[in-house]
Parts: sequence; C-alpha cells; structure tokens
Amino acid sequence: MSAEAVRGLVLNIQHFCTDDGPGIRTNVFLKFCSLHCKWCSNPESIGPKPEIAYDSRKCIGAKACGRCLKAPAPEGAFYVVEGEDTVRVNWDLAHEAGGELAALCPAGAISLFGRSMTVDEVLQEVEQDGTFYRESGGGITLSGGECLLQPDFSAALLREARNRGISTAIETAGNVPWEFMEKVLHHVDVMLHDHKLTDPVRHKLWTGADNSRILANFKKAYETFPDTKFIARTPLIPGVNDDEEHIRAVLAFIRPHANVVDYQLLPYHRFGASKYGFLGKVYELQDFSPPAQETLERLRAIIAESFGRAPAL
Amino acid sequence: MAKRIAITCGGGYVPGLNAVIAGATLAALRASWEVVGVHDGFDGVLFPEEYADGGVMSLDRRAAEALPIAGSALGTGARRDPFRIRAVTADNAVKEVDRSDELLARLSEAGVKAVIAVVGGSAITGSHAMSVAFRLHRKGLPIVCIPKSVENDIAVTSLAFGYDSALGYATDALDRIRAAARDVRRLAVVEVPGAEAGWLALQAGLAARADAVLIPEIPYDIPSVARMLRRARDEGHPPSLVVVAQGATSREAPGEAAAPVSGLRKSLSPLSDLRFGEGGRVIDRSGAVAEALALELQRSCDIETVPLNLDHLVRTGTPSALDRQLGLAYGAGAVDAIEQGRPGSVMAFQPPHLGSVPLAEALNRVRRVPLDGDLVRTAAAIGLCLGHDKGAGHER
Repeated sequence: MSAEAVRGLVLNIQHFCTDDGPGIRTNVFLKFCSLHCKWCSNPESIGPKPEIAYDSRKCIGAKACGRCLKAPAPEGAFYVVEGEDTVRVNWDLAHEAGGELAALCPAGAISLFGRSMTVDEVLQEVEQDGTFYRESGGGITLSGGECLLQPDFSAALLREARNRGISTAIETAGNVPWEFMEKVLHHVDVMLHDHKLTDPVRHKLWTGADNSRILANFKKAYETFPDTKFIARTPLIPGVNDDEEHIRAVLAFIRPHANVVDYQLLPYHRFGASKYGFLGKVYELQDFSPPAQETLERLRAIIAESFGRAPAL
Repeated sequence: MAKRIAITCGGGYVPGLNAVIAGATLAALRASWEVVGVHDGFDGVLFPEEYADGGVMSLDRRAAEALPIAGSALGTGARRDPFRIRAVTADNAVKEVDRSDELLARLSEAGVKAVIAVVGGSAITGSHAMSVAFRLHRKGLPIVCIPKSVENDIAVTSLAFGYDSALGYATDALDRIRAAARDVRRLAVVEVPGAEAGWLALQAGLAARADAVLIPEIPYDIPSVARMLRRARDEGHPPSLVVVAQGATSREAPGEAAAPVSGLRKSLSPLSDLRFGEGGRVIDRSGAVAEALALELQRSCDIETVPLNLDHLVRTGTPSALDRQLGLAYGAGAVDAIEQGRPGSVMAFQPPHLGSVPLAEALNRVRRVPLDGDLVRTAAAIGLCLGHDKGAGHER
C-alpha cells in the first residue's frame, strides 16, 4: 500500500483556523483520545470508533418517518413518548449499534462522527487552502482527539504534506507511547502540546490518567528534536489550573529548552457543551464559567516576563 | 451451593430503600433462598477492593430486622455502568471497557441465581438503570426490577416508592416558603423534581395553594402567567408562590430546557463525577428553570422574585408510612415474581394489585399527568394558573 493510501479515522476538517499554529491553517481532527478531560470541548473525538450522534431538532417526526423505530435499529434504541412525535434516544441501547444507524435517518438527525479517509483524500481537501498558507505562513495542523494515537496515518499524512510544500503542525496531549510521538515528530514543524496540570494526582482526577509519561515524552521530544518548534499550552479551567503555581511549574519545565518558543493560555470555553447532548454523554463541567479577564492577564504577564517580552495588551 | 438472591440499589437515594431490602430479604428467606446485598449497584461485585466487607453483604433475618427506617443499607452511590466502565490501561490510556460478562461470571460464581434491582427514575440518569437491567437480562441474568422515583414518572406503576415521602416533604417546604415569601412581599419561584412529568409540582403545588404551577405536560406562556400574577396583586392578593417542575418548558420553545444560568457549582469538586456519574446520560440542569423563570417573571410583573430549588431536599429523609409499606410490598413481590418464573420484569403497582410487566414493555415510557384528569380539573376549578389562560380554563 502506498503512503497516500494509508487510512485514518478523521472526525472533521476545519478550514481557516488561526489559533492552532502560525498563519491561517487547516485543522484535521482525528478521532480517539487516551484522556477523558472533564472540560473536553470535542467529546465526539474521544471514542476509538465512529459513533452516532443525534440532534432532535432535525427529526421530522415519527408520524412522517419513524424509520429508526423499527429493525434494523436495535430494540428500544429509539422511541417516542406518548403525546410526542419527535424521536428520543435511549443511549444505553443505541450505543450497541454501529454507524449503519445514520443511514436510517433521511433528515440527518442521526449522524456519524468519524469517517475513514486516506492520506490523499485528506490532502486533496487541505490543498484547497494552499494560497492562504503561502500568504500567511500557515499550513496543516493535526488535532483530535489525540492525533498521535494514529501514528502511521499521522506520519504518512504529514510527510506527504511536507512533500507538497505544506507546513506541518500537531496538537497533542502527549499521553501516548514514545515510539508513536517519535514516529510523527520527524515530519512536524511545530508541536503544540498541553500542560494541563502539574500534580500527577490532580492530573488523574481531572483527565483520567496521571502525567508522568506525558512529561517524560515532552522532555524527550524537546531534546530529540532540537530543530522542531514547541509551543506549550494550558487550557485554563477556573478552580482547576488557573493558579500561579501551575503556570510557574510549567515555565520551570519548559524554559530550559530553547526550542520551546512560547507558552499559551487557552481560556476555557463551553462550546462543547451542546455536543454532549447530541452524544448522550454527561458534560461534567457544565457549571463552570470562563476565567476572568484579570486572571488571564495576570497569568499571561508571568509568562511574558519569563520569556522576556512585554505583556500583551 | 444454596440458591441465592442478590439485591442491588441503583444510584440515588429515595425514601423507603431499606423497606424494600427488608421486604425482599424476609420474603426470600421464607422461600428458602439465601440473600446477599451488593453495595452501590453492581460496584460491590466489580470493585470488591473498595469495600471493607468485600462489596457484598449477607442478609439474614437479624440483619433485615435491624435495618434503620431511613437510609439504604446497600448504598446508593452506584454510578458505574458495567457496560462502560472507565479504566486506565497498562500503557496509561483512559478508555471505557465492557465488564458485563465479568459481572455475570462473578455473580454466577457466587451462586447468585436471581437479582432484585431497585431502579429509577431521576433527572440525572433517566431510565439508565432500567436499560442496564434490560441489557443484563438479555445476556441471561434473571433480574426483577423495582421502580423507585420521587417524580412518579415510571409508566408501568401508578405509584413508585419514594414518591409519597417526596410529596410530603415538598408540600411542607412549599408551605414554609409561601409563608416566608408573603412576609417579605416577594414571589418565590420554586423548582421541584419532575424532568418528564409534573406530578410532584402539581400535587404539592395544589396542596400548598400555589398561585401557579408549571409542568412539562403544559408548555407555559410567560405573558399569560405574568398577567394572572399582576391581576392577583392588583386585586389585593399579592402572589407569593410559583411552583415549576424541572422539565417545564415555555410555549415559545417547547421541549427546550432553560440554559444553565448559575455559575460555579457542583463541578468544582474533583469528585464531581460521583455526582454526575460515568454512566449518566443527560446534562443536569437542576435549578436552571427556576432561575430563568424568576428572572422573566420579575421583568414582566415588576414583582421581586426569589428562585429556589428543592431538588435533593425532597429526595432524602425518613420514608412516609405509605412508602414503608409499599417498599415492603415491592420487595416481597419481587421475590414472588422470581418464584413464579417471571424474571426480566418490572414490578408494577396498579391498585389493588401488585404485579409485574416485562422489562421491554416498561422501557422508554413515561407516566405523565393526564390533561383531562382530576388534578388538572381541580386546578382549573379553583383558579390555579397552569401556565396559560386559553383552553381548559387554567386561570381564575
């Protein structure tokens, strides 16, 4: 099989992104993640397989359609409550079914997160934005989920992107075997990587796994790939990691390495909350508010001072 | 090995759980079963290392008779779904694994021939526990479910245990709130459990002589409610109490829940997933409806409003006499269903009979307040506002 024919499970391709690497970029979100962060804004990216989503607003009703209420849909997966016409989902039973359920719904209320694509198919879509990359210094950013959990596909995709003159970046949480990270990093210009929490016990409470392997991977990456640019990032969650102690601990970790060129704070947002409803999952941080502007400015000033630059206004 | 029944309680306390455990245990012992209780749903079987007694306790006559009236001897902390248990693999990846086969094997090894599972019935988990029971039964586990609900929205039974106690607590709380609100000339907007059905809101609201009751069955119209409240005030009867069920929605956006409006709350704790669970299926919006509605009514009536949320206050406490009796009956009835060879069923109380119906018939159904029933008629007759002023005369 040629490198271009390697297949990966792609969640979404998003054009004209400006927050995930230099210039105007095309973000390719891959499915599957090895963490379960409570604040995750892309819950549809977590599972390793394609999964169904349901948006009741698109349902045209049981009387007009009702195709999901009978076989081949699993017994009890979809139902209508007496006095209503819009179909509801019993997620315990719907999850048993595969992606074929999406084909049952002519209105598109049932859809599928995740599709198998080849390197060539992805790049055909990415190259549509070639003009913008050249003018802005942008390129392709692999994100997720955790893009390093599909190392063969990610490596093949980024290698081929480079062959076609496209700058490459990845966004990773780093919770993967080192071999996966190493395999992909050979083809990466910029690696955006998360420092979510410094304390391993708290890291496990909030993300599901401790961070010892993550930190070991990052350190090894800084040292093994001196010509790669690294940008550290923290999704700032009020009451979880929006404290000076964490920011200073991350700075102490990254500053000895000259190829870690920046440390960015990403204010927590709630864009993901509605997607949890579509997936039948619980959004565990629904009651959080985004961080206060003054907190953000104070913490960003600490980072600016560490990097020896004036604080951003 | 002796034949054994295992009793489990799904997540969430409702008054009367110990009565169910006692009823099932005493009836099973008389029918020559050995009885064991599993802590926290099926967690006691799958995670024995987390419990001092190994996760499963023997229930004999002495233990059953020593159970306190309130509380649950088997815990109510079940939040793990045996089909989707979060685990960290050897290479530190977080993933969900299906341990249902392991659960069935462990129950079999322990000599368990049948399971009695108390399931319900809450805004957090919906019908999740019953769905899990349904899936386990399809895999071969002989299981009989007992419906618990403080919202009384389980379709197959006319009275789930726990409801009567919750109704008493809610009414008592509404009485006090109404009196206090009158004293300070404010309008209390009180949210009570009822994501799918307005039984608790309507029955407690009627009992406490609320000025308006808004329930999921009747989408409300803010201008109509405001008009009624203003008129009462102008006539010298300042309104003091609006009761709203958690699932009530407005006529402009029927079926759409109010956006959560409060700030930092439950999720601040790293342990919050014990509250929300790993197997939960819906977003908890408790308190959001009262807050949104109070704001809208204050804007449109120029009456100072206070949002309040009873939520867990009515889910806890000592069971009423009726719930104690009902709990014993449900527990003993479940043993009878097993003896009669009717596993895969849900106990159903249709007075005067306590029987059972197949799980498949109980799933995905909701018991709602009938719009042509006596409760709605009574409300209309006494001028209680049910959210609009058209149609069945829901306004004085």
